[in-house]
Amino acid sequence: MSCPKTQHLLQEYFSDDLAPFAREEIELHLNSCEICGSELEALLLAQSNLQNWQDQRVPHWDRGVDLFKREHRVSGSTTGFWRWWQWVPTAASFAMLSILFLNVSVVSGEQGFSITFGDNSSSQQQFQSQLTEFQELQRDEIQALITRVEDRLDSNSVQLLQAVMDQTQQITADNLDRIYAFFEQNRIRDLEDMRVGYQALVDSDYETIRTLQQLAQFVSYQEPVR
Amino acid sequence: MSLIDEDAALIASALNGSAFAWEKLVKRHESKVYNLGMRLTGNSSDAMDLMQEVFLGVYRNLHRFRGDAKFSSWIFRIAHNKAVDMNRRKRLMTTQSSGNDQDDKDIFESIANDSKDEPDRKLGEQQQNNQICKMLAILPLEQRLIVELKVFQSQTFDEIADMQEISVNTAKTRFYTALKKLKVVSEENHVLP
Ligand SMILES: [Zn+2]
Repeated sequence: MSCPKTQHLLQEYFSDDLAPFAREEIELHLNSCEICGSELEALLLAQSNLQNWQDQRVPHWDRGVDLFKREHRVSGSTTGFWRWWQWVPTAASFAMLSILFLNVSVVSGEQGFSITFGDNSSSQQQFQSQLTEFQELQRDEIQALITRVEDRLDSNSVQLLQAVMDQTQQITADNLDRIYAFFEQNRIRDLEDMRVGYQALVDSDYETIRTLQQLAQFVSYQEPVR
Repeated sequence: MSLIDEDAALIASALNGSAFAWEKLVKRHESKVYNLGMRLTGNSSDAMDLMQEVFLGVYRNLHRFRGDAKFSSWIFRIAHNKAVDMNRRKRLMTTQSSGNDQDDKDIFESIANDSKDEPDRKLGEQQQNNQICKMLAILPLEQRLIVELKVFQSQTFDEIADMQEISVNTAKTRFYTALKKLKVVSEENHVLP
């Protein structure tokens, strides 16, 4: 006893993208044909038997970390060079972000700099001028940095940068908090990782500067975030 | 709340030389790969071999990962190819088309031995997994792989067809054929309640 439709019908039954009408047609036949109906039931049972699998714990292994470390020692000298000076623009951009978010006003007077937090009286204009000043100050340095980054053809940093950029296209305070959190987390984890995290931040610096104008606008119509 | 796809961030860090990021990346995916290996090979030492080869492949090709696919799908693709290679070399689970009880025993004795290493694991679960391996062992590797990818990794027939370099229709037929065989053993043995 067999049904000519069984094979084709059941094969299609397991398709990923079955059109609704095709699905309906199959169901219709399954309801009326006992052979196909019970065959499907048996197949589904076999499938669900498989799904009783309980994940087993992975035995201990070194995860290729030794190999990884061995192969990455080779390029140690360049990272050493990168280590110290990449902090400069990074620190600058953190400072900038702090200024934006804490609404800090930096007033350069005769006695030097004075810094106040959450001072709402700092006008938009004043802010803009600080921003411009900051940009001027950093432009050359950052340009040099960008050039070097590009020189290294560091496609992987670019990958991370791109991820950050995609996400920050719609900048919200929330997003920036998360960027903070993300890099802060990295920093705390361990020193080795910190280098990488900051590297990425350096890479994103250029874009940060470009979006500062947007940020400034954003801050200007928001209450201070904290 | 992932600001950035966590895999992407870890990959970028690993490519930048962070061993920590690499280890974390492996940790995120090793269980899936190991359990896949258990189901494909039926024993933990082959599963470990396969897993190590898979992650070596991931490591060597990480710079080629373009992020247009999910990272896990990319890993399954590597796992698929490594399993095929390994099978060519040493005939994984040689009980194809069944009938060879001796091989069966070897495979499942080794699983039983593994369970002694893990006293905290419930024997029932272990037996259930053994039965599943036993069912899968009757399938030729390419069918076992389709079942693995379809049932356990929820890959689409499109993705599977692409991996095996066959048409989508052939992939569907293979899956159906595999399920029919599995149906027969599970009925014969009443292996599971
Ligand atoms: Zn029928």
